[in-house]
Amino acid sequence: MLSTVTAPPQLRAGPGPGDAGTAAAVIRTDALTKRYAVDVTALAGLTVDIHPGITGLVGANGAGKSTLIKILLGLLPPTSGRAVVLGHDVSASGERIRTLTGYMPEHDCLPPDVTGTEFVTHLGRMSGLPATAAKERAAESLRHVGLYEERYRQVGTYSTGMKQRVKLAQALVGDPRLLLLDEPTIGLDPAGRRSMLDLISRIGAEFGISIVVSSHLLGEIEQICDQLVVIDGGRLLRSDTMTSFTQVSQVLVVEVDEGIAALVAELAARGMAPRRSGRRGLLVQIDGEQTYDTVRDAVAGLGLPLNRLEQQRRRVEELFRDSGDEDAGDEEEHGDS
Amino acid sequence: MTADNGAVSPAGLESTAGAGVIHDLGYRHYEGPRLGRAGIIRALYWHSLRSAFGIGRGAKAKIVPVLMFALICLPAIVNAIALAQHPGQAPIVDYDTYTYRLRSLVMLIFVAAQAPELVSRDLRSHVLPLYMSRPMRRLDYPLAKLTAFTAACLLMLEIPLIILYVGNILSAGGGSAVWAQTRALIPGMGVAALWAVLLAAIGLVLASLTGRRAYATGMIAIYLFLTWTLSAILVNIAQQGPVGPRSVPLGPNAVAPLGARLGGLISPFTVLDGVRQWLGGTNPGPIPPPGSVGFLYGIMFLVLLAACLAGLAARYRKVGAA
Repeated sequence: MLSTVTAPPQLRAGPGPGDAGTAAAVIRTDALTKRYAVDVTALAGLTVDIHPGITGLVGANGAGKSTLIKILLGLLPPTSGRAVVLGHDVSASGERIRTLTGYMPEHDCLPPDVTGTEFVTHLGRMSGLPATAAKERAAESLRHVGLYEERYRQVGTYSTGMKQRVKLAQALVGDPRLLLLDEPTIGLDPAGRRSMLDLISRIGAEFGISIVVSSHLLGEIEQICDQLVVIDGGRLLRSDTMTSFTQVSQVLVVEVDEGIAALVAELAARGMAPRRSGRRGLLVQIDGEQTYDTVRDAVAGLGLPLNRLEQQRRRVEELFRDSGDEDAGDEEEHGDS
Repeated sequence: MTADNGAVSPAGLESTAGAGVIHDLGYRHYEGPRLGRAGIIRALYWHSLRSAFGIGRGAKAKIVPVLMFALICLPAIVNAIALAQHPGQAPIVDYDTYTYRLRSLVMLIFVAAQAPELVSRDLRSHVLPLYMSRPMRRLDYPLAKLTAFTAACLLMLEIPLIILYVGNILSAGGGSAVWAQTRALIPGMGVAALWAVLLAAIGLVLASLTGRRAYATGMIAIYLFLTWTLSAILVNIAQQGPVGPRSVPLGPNAVAPLGARLGGLISPFTVLDGVRQWLGGTNPGPIPPPGSVGFLYGIMFLVLLAACLAGLAARYRKVGAA
């Protein structure tokens, strides 16, 4: 389980978090505030920089994610504060921003009685593509999201997963530099979620498109993100690169197929205090390089089949559970999401 | 594992893709021209105009528009055949009124059936946020829809007039007859344009109130039909005058009672005919000549149109933001 969590930071190590501090921000907000009525505040002084790569926008339902996305598209004027997307101010250059940005809404937005191709082609035209280019790019976008022969069928016959892909394809058709995806995994079964996340991660990694993907499920999108922005009640809870979120903890995970009890005894004999984790796993406190050697020698000495030997990465959710204790003001609303 | 590819920059990516990567994800950026806002509005206009006649939709979507188009062309075709068989006979259909009962009925059905096709579908499927996330402004969408539907109504109303005109001049003898036909055609086309502008606006604003096509169609049909019937009743009652021995039947040159002259203000169809007569149309229509109150029909036309446009603007001003 944990091994899947560890992969993405390595995968995206090059362009992403490493030089995030120096790269120009894709999105920059400054004290961004949106009040709908006198007493309804959707965003309260949000100041955050979002860098190229894949960024998770995380918050509970009603935290202000959709409001932020609409402001970034220039569709909703902020009450106060500023937001700049791809170098353009949202209040002044909404049309320019929308030329460069693809948007996938949270809710269903597909007419049932047109084919996937027709629909995406039409929205390509609405993105400003000439007729022929719109057709070509619609076919390409649908292929990129994994719709082949199905694209000639009416959208009404599609499964939820296929519909989500069409929604993604229409966001992609205008060749955006930035994608804003609002809850792209909503309504999907676990397999569908995984393949949607894979797809997003590939688009971010291979297409050279920056992506902001919102979700109320932290554990889900942390797998594919370079950066995480966590908002709660319209405020920034935390924004950081994924690597600093998932600081490598000083715990070694050891997994063997059999003989776990013997290994525990052996390690204890060598002066360690291993903790059992699951049926076949052990957690060992790391006291430096020699810890690895000790564990290796112990396993080799017993002749056990070693499955895994790696530093444990902590899931972001655990971090929030911890930091919740420190930040007296912010309660742990994310624990339940 | 795609880790190697994932680590390269976008520029490097394209070169790797060019070198032939096994997976077929080779994403190509679009380098070609992009249409501006005007181009996008034009594209939406054409798309909407086509869908007003069911083009680009299934065969079922074409039934009503095609049937209505055939029906509204029928008088012009009958006229052409009649003239061809009896040369010299006066045309049996006028340009400015054009069998107003049939025309009203056909346009009622066309608007009620097709206006929802343009706007209610998008509301129903919640596709508007996708339009709004495109490089256009909020009112560009209703603007494109309105111009498209006005154009669709224009086609419905003007093409029969052209057929009528062609039928007439084919059997007309001499240049002066052709000239007379042309002079009669122009105001007729003007009246048809007024019809198209007003009916398209009414149809779209009513259709934009609901995402359910059946409701939208019902709403438009009921509004147009009820007001039409009501106007006809009012005009009839007022025209008969007080019942009794002193009531005199109206002669052809007599001015109708005020009630009859005002009765037409209720229905868009009779408003359109009132405007026609006020602007100088002399052929008999569904309402008696309005005479001194003719300007009221002009005002009513503008008020109705302005209300529809304001309603459309208000309807779409908030879309996508909330």
